[in-house]
Parts: sequence; C-alpha cells; structure tokens
Amino acid sequence: MFKNVYNWIDERLDITPLWRDVADHEVPEHVNPAHHFSAFVYCFGGLTFFITVIQILSGMFLTMYYVPDIIHAYASVDFLQHQVAFGQIVRGMHHFGASLVIVMMFLHTLRVFFTGSYKAPREMNWVVGMLIFFIMLGLGFTGYLLPWDNKAYYATKVGVEIAASVPYIGPYIADFLYGGDIVGAQTLTRFFAIHVFFLPGALIAMLAAHFLMIRKQGISGPL
Amino acid sequence: MSNHEQHESAHRPVQRKEMSRRQFLSYTLGGTTAFMMGGAVLPMVRFAVDPLLVKKGEGTFVKVVEESKITTEPQEFKFKVHQVDGWYESEPELVAWISRDAEGKIFALSPVCKHLGCTIFWNTKGHNEYDCPCHDARYTRDGKNITVARLPLDEYDVKVDDGIVYLGAIKPNTRV
Amino acid sequence: MAHGHKSNEKVVFVGDSRVKKAGMFQTPPDYTAFPGKSEAFIPNFLLKEWMVGCVVLVGFLVWVIAEPAPLGYPADPTNASFIPMPDWYFLFLYQFLKYPYVSQDYVLLGTMGIPGIMFGALMLAPFLDTGKERRFYRRPIASSLMLLTLASCVYLTVVSWDHYQHMLAENNTIPEHHERADKAREAIERGEPRPNPLKKAAAIIEADDPAMSIAQAQCIGCHAADFSGAVGPALIGVGNRMTQEEIAAIITNGSENGAMPHFNDKLSAEEIDQLAVWLAKQTQ
Repeated sequence: MFKNVYNWIDERLDITPLWRDVADHEVPEHVNPAHHFSAFVYCFGGLTFFITVIQILSGMFLTMYYVPDIIHAYASVDFLQHQVAFGQIVRGMHHFGASLVIVMMFLHTLRVFFTGSYKAPREMNWVVGMLIFFIMLGLGFTGYLLPWDNKAYYATKVGVEIAASVPYIGPYIADFLYGGDIVGAQTLTRFFAIHVFFLPGALIAMLAAHFLMIRKQGISGPL
Repeated sequence: MSNHEQHESAHRPVQRKEMSRRQFLSYTLGGTTAFMMGGAVLPMVRFAVDPLLVKKGEGTFVKVVEESKITTEPQEFKFKVHQVDGWYESEPELVAWISRDAEGKIFALSPVCKHLGCTIFWNTKGHNEYDCPCHDARYTRDGKNITVARLPLDEYDVKVDDGIVYLGAIKPNTRV
Repeated sequence: MAHGHKSNEKVVFVGDSRVKKAGMFQTPPDYTAFPGKSEAFIPNFLLKEWMVGCVVLVGFLVWVIAEPAPLGYPADPTNASFIPMPDWYFLFLYQFLKYPYVSQDYVLLGTMGIPGIMFGALMLAPFLDTGKERRFYRRPIASSLMLLTLASCVYLTVVSWDHYQHMLAENNTIPEHHERADKAREAIERGEPRPNPLKKAAAIIEADDPAMSIAQAQCIGCHAADFSGAVGPALIGVGNRMTQEEIAAIITNGSENGAMPHFNDKLSAEEIDQLAVWLAKQTQ
C-alpha cells in the first residue's frame, strides 16, 4: 500500500534520488565516534540542529497560550507555566533550550575553528554559520522581553540603548525597535513579531543554505 | 533497496528469512527517532490538549430575579456571571428568557438560536413565538423548534430559593 | 525505481522540460575520497549521532523537570531596586561596557568599535587565515587570538557574575524570580492559593466600619498596621479561610496552638461579634 503510493509519486516526480543522495552518502571514518572516540566533537553541529528543532516546536506550542500584550503577557506566561499541565516543562524546554543552543553552537564553532574546517573551499559556509550565530543571539535577545517581567523590561532597555549609541542612525534604530518613545505595548508586539516570524524565517533559510553547502562540499577531510 | 536484495536472494536456495544488518540498523534508527520525537513532543502535545482534559467546574448558580416577577409570558432577564477564561477574568452579561409553564413551574431558555447561533427574541412577529432575526427560525413558548432550526432552544438550570430565581449552567432542552 | 529497473514502466513526459527523463540524474559524488572505514549516513552513521542525541535529550528533560523556568515580577519601570542582568551569554559584553575607554566619551568604541572588530574578524576568519595548514598548532596566530578571546570572554563573564552576586549580598536581596518561587511555595504549603503578582495589593473592605477602630487598637501589634500580617497571619483575606464563627472563637479563646492570646477579657462579647462579622467580610 505504502509502496504503491510511493511508486505512484516517484514515477511522476522522481523523488528517489533526492533522499537517496542524503541517505546513502558515505560518512568517513575520521568523524565517526565509533572508530575514534575523539570524533565526538563532530556531533555538536547535529546536536545544535536537534535543539533548534525542539526550540521551534516548543515555541509553536507556547504561542497557543501566550499573548503579546503588556496587560496580559505576564498573566498568560504565569498561567501557562502554573495552570496548564506540563506548562513548566514546555516553557522550561524553550527557556533552557535557548541556553543549550548557544552552548552547542559555541562548541560547534570552536570545533570548526580549531580543525581549520572553514578554509577554502568552505569559506561561505563559515560566513553563513556566523549569520546563524547572530540570528540565534537575536532570538535570545528578543525572546526575553516576551514574559514582560522586570528582567525583560530592563534587559531590553539596556540592549536598545546599546543600539542607540550608533552614530547618526542610532536614534532611528532605537525608535524602530521601541516602536515609539518608550519600552511599551508597541515594543512588545514588535519584539514578538521579530522573535516568532522574522528571525525564525531567516534562521530556516540560513540553515537550509548551511546544509546544502555541506552536502555539496562534503565534510572536511582528516587532519 | 529491497529490489536489489530480493533480486540477489532469488538465485540462492531459499532458507530462512533473516534480517539483514542494514534492516536491523534501520529499525533501530526508526525506534531511536520515535523515542526522540516522543520525548520532545509528547510533553508539548499534553500541554496543547490540556483544555480537553481539564475537569469542568461545577456550575455555579447566579441570582437573577425575584420569583414574584415571573409570569407565564416570557420575559428577558440579563444577569452577570463571573467567568475565568485562562488568564482573563471577566463578568460577561448573559440573557435568559424566563417564564412559568401551565403548572406554574419556572423555566429559563437560552436566547441562542440552535440554527446558526443568532439571538432570538420573544414575539417580534406577533405569533407568541420566539423568532430568530437571521433565518426566520421559530420556536414555541417551551423552546420547541417549529421551522428552520433542527433542535429546541437550550435551557438554563433553574433553582428557586427563598423567593429568588437562580440560574446555573446551560443544558439541552428537557421540556420538549 | 530510479535506478533504471523496469524503466519501461516510467511515465515519460515527452517534450516537457520541467520533468527530467529517467536516467538523467547524476549519480551522487563518490564520498569514499577519504581512506578508511566509511559508512552510509542512513542508517549506520545517523544511528550513532542519535545515540548521542538521546543522551542529550534525556539529560535536558531531567534538567527541565527539575528546574522551573524563572519568571520575575511584572515589569515596573519605577522599580529602582531591581538589578538587571542579561542572560549568561551576553554577560561578557555587559561587563565589557563598564570599563573606562569603552564607556563615557568612548562609549561608541565599546558598543560598536571593539565588538564590531571582534565579530567582524570572526566572521571573516576564512579570509584572514588563508594558509593551507589546518592543524591549530600550525596556525599559531589564529589559534592564539582565538584562545585569548575565549579567555577574556570567560574572564569577563566570571567577573560580571561575581559582581552581581556581590551586589546581591550587599543589598541583602535575592533575585526576584527566586523570591517569587519561594513565596509561591510558602503560600502553597500554608494551603493558600498561589499568589498572583498582578492582583492589586488587597485593601481592607469597609474600612469605615466601627470594628476597624477595635482592630486598630487590639490587632495591629501582631497583624501589622495594614493587616498584611507580621507575627500573626494576614487579616486581609481572612474571610476566605474562616467563617465568622471560627473567627469569633479564635478571638475569644485564642488560637489552638496558643500563638494568639485570647481576647475575651479585653473585648466584650458584642465587640468580638462585631469584629468577627467585619473580619469575615475580608475576602479577596
């Protein structure tokens, strides 16, 4: 049954080579921790991706209860954490997962740096990886305004003040991020939009580019 | 891949169907995938379906009107209930049409039309019936559907205590 | 399927350039370029990767279950006692901006100049470190710069965290998400509902009642001038916990554990009754 459906689609779209290419490519010995235990350092990239998937999923589920509004944001976070079953776990996954992504990404970056894997012909992939790093930091920064507690308020204020110190365009950046003159209702909706739509969109595009380049160039050779 | 394997094994004498190493690894990989997805997603699914599993609270009765004001002619009464909707607490106003039946028993009907949810009103067309302004659904005094609607009007739980009428939760019509 | 078996069964879209004819696909490049025991990505290698993933996932879930995500008190722009701290991964930048030559007149150097150079250099690393050598000990300049940066980031983070702990100790405060969690736990242990920081501070109901003056004369010593509780528990909201009769019994005879003395010698029965009626109204 499943096979017939698959064959029907495959005859029309020839999808087999797409997944075959991913499934059958050979992974060399020097990145396989079963052969050299020290090769576990090559796992950090995959783990970053795994935690990112958890972040995207838990974020999607959290928006079922969260409201980006200064009157209700705090109350909704309080409600979903304490009143909804498993709310503490789902919010915990998103909160601590954010830290874990940064840790894993940091370790992955260091591995790539110290094995010199960013050298020709993989320069582009390093640059894309760095963009992913900045997007992740941006997600962290926009994310902690959302519960609208004191930490959210003051951390956002300090962060935007840093942006405001840029010469000439600084005040405009600050106004753009504030959506007005103060950290308030319009700031919260802006940060929410950036946190759940703009940055994740950019992140997914960058991840796709990152993975495509890895498949195209293959993994860097042994040292 | 299975094509290849079947093709090769066709030449050898058939013995036992043994699992190949690749198949074994594929099943293990599938199991590991299921474990990881389950571990990550099940808490989230439980989180999302929580509203389905929350026990419905006991309907609380709200004081509406003195018993003496109720007549056999349906009258509209408005009353406020305290509603806790997640993180949002409010006092929405509800409407009930309260009247006495032939035996003098008090009953209260919900004004929500069972056709498509418009709000009905008593006797707008002069037939001593409840009329719906949207699709001309009509209901008798007891809330029995005459045309258009498929079901009779819902009823409120009614409690009379010390000369005061209290209304509770909405339930399907028990009178028709 | 796509490997040419029974290719006569394939639907061939003649003249349709959007669909390639069967057999036109490039075979994937040979990934056995590196000598040694290579293996297929699926299922062999991915299984190993996901074993590691499972360990990480289980550890992560244990962490998440054991430690609730922090939540402070609602944002209050007038709160001057709050010590704002960013998440740990921004601490190095937060600490860096406190130093001279990157603050005051030079703040631009701190916010844009040096971080711009550092992050720019990191981003352009492949174009700065262009040698063929990949081993880190054969690239002394790149490696030592990276190690130096790492060490300074760790140093700045640690200094910042120490300073924060020091500030907390000096001001004798605890971070508000801990305070909130502690208060919630204490309230639940007392059998009260979890306090909601959004609810306005509860006010005395019917403060012009004559019982108020009796209460001010007799009760505020232990129950605080605003009745929010000190030695004795809060009287605001006492009506949620006790009936009028229970309150009257406690005022008359004292509390069961003897913590509260009896007042039947200080107050008349009418006064106690008046007080109990009024206190029973103190619901929230």
